[in-house]
Amino acid sequence: MIQAIQIVIGGVLQGAVFALLALGFSLVYRVTGVINLAQGGFCVFGALLMYTLQVSWGLPIPLALAGALAGTALGGVILGYTTFGPALTRLSVSSILVMTAGLLTLIQGVLLIGWSSQPYALPPISGEAPIAIFGVRIPTQGFWIVAAAVVIILGLWFLLARTRLGLALRACAENRLAARLMGIDVPRMTLFSFTLAAVIAGLGGIAVAPITSLEFDTGGFFTNFGFISVAVGGLGAFAGSVFGGLVLGVSEQLAAGYVSSLFANGLALALLLVMLLWRPNGLFTAGPARRQDVRDEQRIHRAIVRLEGRGGAIFAVLAAVFILVLPFILPGAGILNSLVITGILFIAVLGLDVLMGYAGQVSLGHAGFMAIGGYTAAILATTYHWPPLAGVAAGIVLSLVCAFALSLVTTRLRGHFLALATLAFGLMIDSLTVGLTDVTGGPSGLVGIPSFSVGPYVFGSSMEMYYLVAVLIFVLVAMLHGGLRSGFGRALKAVRTDQTAAAALGVNVPRYKLAAVCLSAALASLSGSLYAFYFHFLSPEMVGAPRSFEMIAMLVAGGEATLVGPLLGVALLTLIPTVFQPFALYKTFAEGLLLVLCFLWLPEGMFGSAAVWLARITMRRKVDGRARTVVP
Amino acid sequence: MSEAALEIKALDKNFGGLHAVNKVSFTVPHGSLTAVIGPNGAGKTTVFNLVTGLYRPDSGDARFYGQSLLDRSPVEVAASGLIRTFQSARIYPGMTALENVLAGAHLHFRASAFSQMLWLGSARREERALTRRAEALLELVGLASFRDVAATELPMGGQKLLEVVRALMAQPRLLLLDEPAAGLNDAETAELAELLRAIRDAGISVVVVEHNMSLVMGVADQVIVLDAGSVVASGSPREIQQDQRVIAAYVGQAEPGAA
Repeated sequence: MIQAIQIVIGGVLQGAVFALLALGFSLVYRVTGVINLAQGGFCVFGALLMYTLQVSWGLPIPLALAGALAGTALGGVILGYTTFGPALTRLSVSSILVMTAGLLTLIQGVLLIGWSSQPYALPPISGEAPIAIFGVRIPTQGFWIVAAAVVIILGLWFLLARTRLGLALRACAENRLAARLMGIDVPRMTLFSFTLAAVIAGLGGIAVAPITSLEFDTGGFFTNFGFISVAVGGLGAFAGSVFGGLVLGVSEQLAAGYVSSLFANGLALALLLVMLLWRPNGLFTAGPARRQDVRDEQRIHRAIVRLEGRGGAIFAVLAAVFILVLPFILPGAGILNSLVITGILFIAVLGLDVLMGYAGQVSLGHAGFMAIGGYTAAILATTYHWPPLAGVAAGIVLSLVCAFALSLVTTRLRGHFLALATLAFGLMIDSLTVGLTDVTGGPSGLVGIPSFSVGPYVFGSSMEMYYLVAVLIFVLVAMLHGGLRSGFGRALKAVRTDQTAAAALGVNVPRYKLAAVCLSAALASLSGSLYAFYFHFLSPEMVGAPRSFEMIAMLVAGGEATLVGPLLGVALLTLIPTVFQPFALYKTFAEGLLLVLCFLWLPEGMFGSAAVWLARITMRRKVDGRARTVVP
Repeated sequence: MSEAALEIKALDKNFGGLHAVNKVSFTVPHGSLTAVIGPNGAGKTTVFNLVTGLYRPDSGDARFYGQSLLDRSPVEVAASGLIRTFQSARIYPGMTALENVLAGAHLHFRASAFSQMLWLGSARREERALTRRAEALLELVGLASFRDVAATELPMGGQKLLEVVRALMAQPRLLLLDEPAAGLNDAETAELAELLRAIRDAGISVVVVEHNMSLVMGVADQVIVLDAGSVVASGSPREIQQDQRVIAAYVGQAEPGAA
């Protein structure tokens, strides 16, 4: 009994932090209509700033606290002003969502550079010794966490309900346009809510830091659980956010206490998926419903990127020749190794391009399919001595089954809920790969995976793998190009841009979404299998949740819906850390920065922008004039 | 003109307290061009949405060549040969004008996704044949020079025409056009009128929701007037022009005999 109470108290403390994050999500969502995934980053940012000020510099706690919060606020203002604000005016809701994932990566990159990758824990404010009440031991820090949560909740309530500023914020939440007509400075309110949410997250991080250890990438964990809390409680509902956080915290701790800490995440995520099926709007409903169609809105206009006809053919032949001779003009073997990895990852990103770029369906958990493919093939090859090709096929079949199951949930979801469900899927697979220690080798990974082979022929060297992957890519690109430039691709793009109009012309929208999900899942699975065979080793972090975000960064940097463009993005993010070893520390930062910059200033990506520029030059003389008369 | 392309019987729809469509009945004869007119909020677009499966009516029936359209999804309605356009030109952004028109042929594209991916001859031949038809249609409405231009870069009039042409690519038996002339200038409206006549003469029944009286009176075989959710008059353009109730609905309460 005491143990149960102990666990519940632990859950409440954990949940209080989730609740604070969820409040931040709700605040930004209410004012702007979008979700800011960078939230968890600010949580860790605040705590690490506090560590530096309090522990390294030895400042007294109040002073350190003020400094840490001011620093977090400054970070919030800078990011809000330079990225979040501009994004609101020119990006679609789901693009902003992905961009904020880039912001999270960016913050993690800054933290990695500033604080390196070791874990930090703040000293508890009132000492280490827990208080015992009727035999239940409560860490004193717990009181500080609860106090911080209560102060923030009351303060936020007072701000929104009792002040003029709160009134203006609520006006923005009701109707941004009307608020502007009433003379409210909506951009400033946006910035204010973004920054306030960052500070709340920072304070949450500082409060929880003494009872948990924080690293540069713990922000991802906080974002995920804050996001899940707010989804359970009801997006935009403040009471719901607090409730959702507490429910999630307690259920996670109970799962960890009575089942296994390795499965705690998985169970929390299962809870979320059930919620999404049962009550997609959460337990509490907030304010007016917003339109949340996936990219089904006017701001998604992208320039049309095409290299058609002779120009395209010449480009394709040149690129193919370049890829085939590349190994012979390389300076070192290390680069060849990275090129093979580039190729293998590109196969997965190709699939992601079909799903996100062409069909417009956000997937924040795509590495989950890589994990399924990788682990299935690897386990079958090591434990059951299946031939690699059969393992690859089995992985693809299993991925398709999972993709189908996921689709049952996601076809009914749009926008944030779709993103959330895919995120949950990725995390669930992630926690399974960590948790099923007997099968997957757990966090330390699976070793002794053989090289890929077809029949008696073994692809043992990097050179052999390079050509295998290159040929595979040629075939896949040719096939996808054939399908995407034809009726199949047009139907996908119709689904991406306007589902109602697509249906009115007879496009079976759910079926095409399913086709895109399955295609991308199969490619990710193939990529994951090859990855495992190439490394002869597979660990959860090679195909974990951060990999999903990395693939999105690669896709967006290269150019969505350009098919071959993402290869540039993959190459950039894979090769640069290899070629310039000292830059490895900056990889996370560069990834986040690239994603944010591309979203804001290069929406067609690197390849897309180059192709548009080329096309503009060649097309200029072809296009003239205006509509002429109709009908003979 | 004996067979009815579309038969609407006592269609009824409430939105909360608003009686948007009140026992609306009318018949669109096969091969005719029917215009549905009425002031804003009269329920014209709602009737379209009920017929095409976007909304479900509270009561009543809509029959398309004898088959009930109720309980059919928008995709099934389209597959049966009833194609609609939207009030705000809903062309697909991110696609060229040609691709937009080709997308209209979705229902008639036979080649499987797999045969397209394998570049099979049958799929490529079909694609070429459809492209030729799409180009011919673009030529017909004077948009040939915009073939490879992003559809969203077309002027409003061009986008409206593009949407009509895209709907034609679906080879409809009945075409529902929702305010095709909105946003068009006079010259473009005249072109649209000719296009509508040509569509009807090609054997496709047409229903047009329209505000533009001169367009309606010039091309329609039959005019249905809706006001506040109910049919207030129907008949030939000439009959409608002289109908007191129509004048009342459009210009407010007129003195008896003053029109």
